[in-house]
Amino acid sequence: MSASASAITVEGLGKRFGAVQAVDDVSFAVEPGEIFGFMGHNGAGKTTTLRMLLGLTQPTSGRAAVLGHDIVRATLEVRRVAGYLPASYALPPDMTAREFLQYVAAMFAIPPATARARGDALLRRFGLEDAADRKLRGFSTGMTQKVGLAQALINEPRVLLLDEPTAGLDPLGRHELLEHLRELAQQGVTIVFSSHILSDVETLCRRVAAMHHAKLIACGEIAALRREHGAATMDELYLTLVRRQAS
Amino acid sequence: MTRLLWLDYLAGLRERKTWIAAAMLVYAVLVIPLLLADPPPHVREAIAAWFADADPFAVFMFVWIDLVMNKVATFVPVILASGVVLRERDTGVLAVLAAKPLTLSRYFVVRTVSACAVMLTLYVGAQLLAALWFPGRVAGFRPGTFLAAMSLHAFAVLFATAFAATVSVAVGRRGAGALVALMLLGLMVGLALVGFYQPEWYEMTLVNPLTLGALSMRDLAHLGASTLLPPMLALAGLTAVTIALGSRVVRKVEV
Repeated sequence: MSASASAITVEGLGKRFGAVQAVDDVSFAVEPGEIFGFMGHNGAGKTTTLRMLLGLTQPTSGRAAVLGHDIVRATLEVRRVAGYLPASYALPPDMTAREFLQYVAAMFAIPPATARARGDALLRRFGLEDAADRKLRGFSTGMTQKVGLAQALINEPRVLLLDEPTAGLDPLGRHELLEHLRELAQQGVTIVFSSHILSDVETLCRRVAAMHHAKLIACGEIAALRREHGAATMDELYLTLVRRQAS
Repeated sequence: MTRLLWLDYLAGLRERKTWIAAAMLVYAVLVIPLLLADPPPHVREAIAAWFADADPFAVFMFVWIDLVMNKVATFVPVILASGVVLRERDTGVLAVLAAKPLTLSRYFVVRTVSACAVMLTLYVGAQLLAALWFPGRVAGFRPGTFLAAMSLHAFAVLFATAFAATVSVAVGRRGAGALVALMLLGLMVGLALVGFYQPEWYEMTLVNPLTLGALSMRDLAHLGASTLLPPMLALAGLTAVTIALGSRVVRKVEV
């Protein structure tokens, strides 16, 4: 696939924090409308890679682009077309869900009437209309995650970067979230789904990238990777890739 | 950015700390005339020594500006503004907001201007309440002069709010930042009226923004545009420079 046709292109991206190489020479591409899995253990470099894509951390080597916008030179353009749900975050406790979505919409300079309509539609979509005017401090983990996803969608992003979005969710919450992500992909949204819950990655994604100790150790279609490495399950595939890397 | 500022201002008004600050101000307005009605002997002696010939309203204004509102200018801005950006970082809210198409510098400006607007709302509300409550309770009270003098002091309070926000992000930690801002504002307030006690130091004290805010004390009988506008403009300029400085310093904050 040519670089210009990809929604996300990453070429030799690296990040060093002092003596620690957090991301080392990572390259991959994500096609438009694809749900791309990004798997690896905690600390493998997935979060740092996503943060670099949004300009929250500056790369020390390589380059990347989101929908053709360079992540260093056009950071604000990238953020305008992208939605992001971090792995670890909180919502402002004194705001209601509706107020928070309006607040985030204002950061995108979305007109108030449009922002209200989009906010209400997202709250309905995630089944939060009854809790829309409740303070966020009383929200459960699942409700918080839904508001987190709603804020990532308020700008109708064409690219969605999700960092461990199913962590902490109960089975029903996970199922609902994965369903929402499938719907979004069907609508043409490109999704990068970063997780160490491999069953979620397998359920949702056709292609994956696997990271281990800052390096990309595999990238391709899940089915092809499993065939190539003789792995019956995702867990087996990941362990095989990691062991091969270690040896 | 105007819409974001408005929403941030509304959110700021609803915060618990804002209501605590409002309660402090209302308490001050309601209680000071009662306390001054029968001050302790040592306070009466001090007032007599400093203002033997002054009209009772001038004495009251000295107490109101220096002993009450300057203390408000030390504490309330720190309460309202010292957590700007840092609180969002510490709680994890910034992890979400920093990924939006707004630089951290601009976000700091929005949060600080919004804190200034909340401060101004509380301050104006308190002075208007005072203008209604003081007549009849304060000897020789002149509402027009009172409001003119306090409108200048409001600019000093706005400066203090911007200053608290900037010092906090410069320090980089919420608790330590609030303490440093409190200490520096306390120092400025402590030195604000030195020029009144030591006239030969007067010009030197004009570098202190809190002195500029209390300049109306020099001649309460002749307050007008020519006496109020220059210090107001100077304070507005200092506030703008302080916010600009903070918007540069905040870039070092790790998201």
